[in-house]
Amino acid sequence: MNNRNVMIRLENVSTVYEGERMAALRSLSLSVKEKELVYIVGPNASGKTTLLETINGLLKPYKGSVTVSGLNMMTHGRRLRAEIGYIPQDFIVEPGEPYLALDVVVMGRYGKIGVLNKTSERDREKAHDAMKLLGIDDLSHRPMGKLSGGQQQKVMIARALAKEPRILLMDEPFSNLDPESKTRIPLIIAETHEKKGLTTIIVTHETHRIVKTCSRVILLDDGRIVADRNPEEDQQTLGTYT
Amino acid sequence: MIWLGLDIMGKAFVSCILIGILTGLMGVFVVRMRLSAIGYSMSHGAFAGAALGVAASTNPLMTAMLFASLVAFIIGPLADKARLHPDTITSIIFPLNMALAFIFLTLTPEIGLTSQVANVLWGSIISITNNDLVYMTTLCALTLSIIYFTWKELFAIMYNRKLAEADGVNTKPFIYLIILLSGVVITLSLKLVGGLLIYALLFNPASTALQFLEDMRKIIIASPLIGVATNLLGLTASLYLDLPVGSCIVVVSTIVFAFSVLVSPKRRRSMTEESR
Repeated sequence: MNNRNVMIRLENVSTVYEGERMAALRSLSLSVKEKELVYIVGPNASGKTTLLETINGLLKPYKGSVTVSGLNMMTHGRRLRAEIGYIPQDFIVEPGEPYLALDVVVMGRYGKIGVLNKTSERDREKAHDAMKLLGIDDLSHRPMGKLSGGQQQKVMIARALAKEPRILLMDEPFSNLDPESKTRIPLIIAETHEKKGLTTIIVTHETHRIVKTCSRVILLDDGRIVADRNPEEDQQTLGTYT
Repeated sequence: MIWLGLDIMGKAFVSCILIGILTGLMGVFVVRMRLSAIGYSMSHGAFAGAALGVAASTNPLMTAMLFASLVAFIIGPLADKARLHPDTITSIIFPLNMALAFIFLTLTPEIGLTSQVANVLWGSIISITNNDLVYMTTLCALTLSIIYFTWKELFAIMYNRKLAEADGVNTKPFIYLIILLSGVVITLSLKLVGGLLIYALLFNPASTALQFLEDMRKIIIASPLIGVATNLLGLTASLYLDLPVGSCIVVVSTIVFAFSVLVSPKRRRSMTEESR
């Protein structure tokens, strides 16, 4: 593990949301090596979502630097984001949303396909593969607005996986799932992470969903890292916060 | 072109079809990208520009185009640069456009509410020229080509702009393109319904299609068809009832929208789900 290259590096990063005065991340430094599976936990408003949005460049830090794969996120953002599978928190669409589930999954590949290029049969195959993996291929031609919260969340996970990313950033990806899927999906993600050699960061408040194979669990509070350990080392500390 | 020899009514029917296609198409993007307030501001910008053209005795179409493009630039890249919320900038631009329009019209009192001014305000289908039809046809071809080549990106932005950005799509140029195209479409449609009513042509067909259909590909086809149908129905109604064309088109398209809300299967389903 120590010989691996650093995939994600944040150095002294401070981020503030537009219109807010308080920093959401405070001089935070973090390194994630390639092929690591890292869980981020912490209380509400501790900066977990902000951290993911800062890593993928959707939020610009006012201080510090973010590098992914050795490239500065501020200057190579678009190119890097095409290699990052991202699942935002609580992404539930309105009931009348006129988009089919398959279209939403294929959309994950748009950054890779490139401007003005059309989607190919291969893109649709990859989308179907990801949907099959999550057991939702039968939902391909159903409108997103007609799917349950849990089904929509699986579509979003499939979208991130169909992209064939090098990095996965997932923000509470299990929150809307039914109990059976809450057990099954984290294992599928861990398996895919292992099989594809991904670098994965998962934000969750459900510490009992953290898989045993994960590399690290980082505890965030008030925009700072307060613990960064192997999950077996410090279950008690994590328990107090979640 | 085959319609260069058409009579006034022939030109009116052709322009209803072309404008129905253009506003129906652009309306889908304006509604789905939540640019409605921007469309509203641009339609009044075009109106102010046309008023300047009338006052300055130049071609109102050119000044309307200039103003609509200027408004598109202000509420697009400039507002982004100044980090102004779209609501803020449109709330400021909209009354400014109206104020300018009234200033331009009163600067030349001898014009007053002459037919030329009325044309700008309410539209005048009989003033549509062969040149207008050529512009509209060219714009139709251009708009369809742009949508064909950039559909993938527009499709993703209409779903969710932030997600599209997260996937590596550069969303800004596409949104500016839609704003600019909407400005041009609005300007060329002024003669049909006028500056005060044009917004309905942009908004109603797309909103009607969204009441029924659950696939964006079908919506982008249905919306211009609804636009064409309501324009032709409105024109026919105005001929029979001897009422202004633009007003009749807007009334017809509003009735069609209201009816679609009443019978919308999507709406009924979501209301049933909510009551559970």
